[in-house]
Amino acid sequence: MVKRIILFGVFPALIIALGVWYYVFVYSKNHHRDVMNEKAIQVTSVQIVKGFQASENTANSQYLNKALEITGQVAEVKKDQAGNTTVTLKSDDPFVFVLCTLKKQTAVNSGQTVKIKGICTGFLSDVVINDAYVVEE
Amino acid sequence: MKSKILSLLVLSGMILSAHAQKIYATRTGQVFFNASGGMEKIAAVNNQVESKMLDKTGQIVFSLLVKGFHFDNQLMEDHFNENYMESSKYPKAEFKGYLKNLNAIDISKDGRYNIQVSGQMMIHGVTQKLESEGILIVANGKIEIKGSFKINIKDFGINGLYIGDKIAKTATVDLDCKYE
Repeated sequence: MVKRIILFGVFPALIIALGVWYYVFVYSKNHHRDVMNEKAIQVTSVQIVKGFQASENTANSQYLNKALEITGQVAEVKKDQAGNTTVTLKSDDPFVFVLCTLKKQTAVNSGQTVKIKGICTGFLSDVVINDAYVVEE
Repeated sequence: MKSKILSLLVLSGMILSAHAQKIYATRTGQVFFNASGGMEKIAAVNNQVESKMLDKTGQIVFSLLVKGFHFDNQLMEDHFNENYMESSKYPKAEFKGYLKNLNAIDISKDGRYNIQVSGQMMIHGVTQKLESEGILIVANGKIEIKGSFKINIKDFGINGLYIGDKIAKTATVDLDCKYE
């Protein structure tokens, strides 16, 4: 009887506990969301800025936290304070851009038209895209 | 000759007035968040903090997107967004205020100045008064502002299971903005 309790009660409980611990503290630390293989919404930098300017709420429900593939012309390439490469894409409005922070350094030149895949975190002065990749055509 | 002098005067006047009020801005400032309560580290960084400062009036604004906070642990990041900050409903956090001791700062001179900031902080759709101290560093004409303050999580209507236990009741927020 005791053997049975250990075999069918304690042992599976231990396995489950170990699994939960592994998922919470080990797996989640080493596996971050990566949009590389996610299906993305296709949009241009002009369209997305227009969308957020027309209605921030509607655009948020459309784009927030989603994987996007944004096509646009590069206004400037810079480094942020943490050393990440940032690429700003032009829109029709000379004061509003799409600010993309790249996950890894990629050579991009201003004036070039690129496609950038990343996660939309919302709209401040610019539309902000995080964890982004430059998509090779 | 007269017209030349006149245009020179107008030009210098324009330069002076342009110098009189300047907007310092950044879109890639940093905010560090720490709410470690127990053994587990609960800390995140946001690298896309927007800030604007007017040197003449001392008005200052910081804004950020909550979904831009990065945790080491993806599960923690998901819980932070979904269960605590409800970042789909409240995507932004913002501070609007002013530098109280503007007289003590000379932006045209390199140095470190202690600053006192006062204003309104909006997090999770709730606005609270906030007073804080920080430092303003001027180096080669560039400005950097650093600050650190504590916020009582429940003051902002954030209710979650582990606050006061695994998550500290008060979170520490550190800020570092290098202006252009």
